[in-house]
Amino acid sequence: MALKETLRARWFWYSVLCILSWGGWALLSKLGSREIPPETMQFLFTLGAVPVGLAVWAGRSFKLEKSPKGITFAVLNGVLAGIGGLTLFAAYHTNGNTALITSASALYPMVTVILAVLILRERIRPIQMLGLVFAAVAIVIFSF
Amino acid sequence: MHMPPWFWYTVITLVSWGVVGLLQKLSTNYISAESSLVWLVVGFLLLQPFFYPGAAVFHYSRWNLAWALLSGVLNALGAWALFIAMKSGGKASIVAPVTALYPLVVIVLVPFILHESITRLQIAGVISALIAVVLLSV
Repeated sequence: MALKETLRARWFWYSVLCILSWGGWALLSKLGSREIPPETMQFLFTLGAVPVGLAVWAGRSFKLEKSPKGITFAVLNGVLAGIGGLTLFAAYHTNGNTALITSASALYPMVTVILAVLILRERIRPIQMLGLVFAAVAIVIFSF
Repeated sequence: MHMPPWFWYTVITLVSWGVVGLLQKLSTNYISAESSLVWLVVGFLLLQPFFYPGAAVFHYSRWNLAWALLSGVLNALGAWALFIAMKSGGKASIVAPVTALYPLVVIVLVPFILHESITRLQIAGVISALIAVVLLSV
């Protein structure tokens, strides 16, 4: 019954769309990076992201909240996400193993959890601690 | 210790996206997830002058140019789908770890598309990484 309900839920199918989109993004990033250098990949990637940004903006009738703090954090987010994207394209461009690079780069919640503890003084939960242990094991294996 | 050449690039990705995860929490304290996505694209655009390729871009194959553009579309589309999933009743503690499994799509398709293979030890690493992202996002 629970499975039937989940399969009927809107959130479930949007989660599936998210997984497929991000899987496609990583795979196409690799395909393009075989020939195109990281800087140009990031330039083109952004051109691709702009129409979606515009569509989201249009979906909100071109109105956005005017919180200077919120906007500063979000713009800074874009700059940092762009730098992380650039180095991911660089990693793919080295011709390293695609499955390993994609799995390793997906470990970024590890850094978020550590920073949330150090900066936001959030408490680390036992399940997250276990997650950090698995992340550490993965990173050691990938470094060989 | 000899590290594969991609390793340090990926470490920079991990650290910058890790900070992004933290800033995302902070920005959505003040503005909606959609506004945050729009301003994030503005942040991407601020970097464009540094990466402008000029006419060199026309030397690359059409297919690879298309993949690069489409990768940007899919990345932003994925973020948008994630927000809608959360807004339409998906619990963050379920949606976040499930969507963090996107590398599975790559791992399944790569042997067919790029004919790459990985060792048994590396498979163990990939499984550890997937367990880690699920536990960290719960």
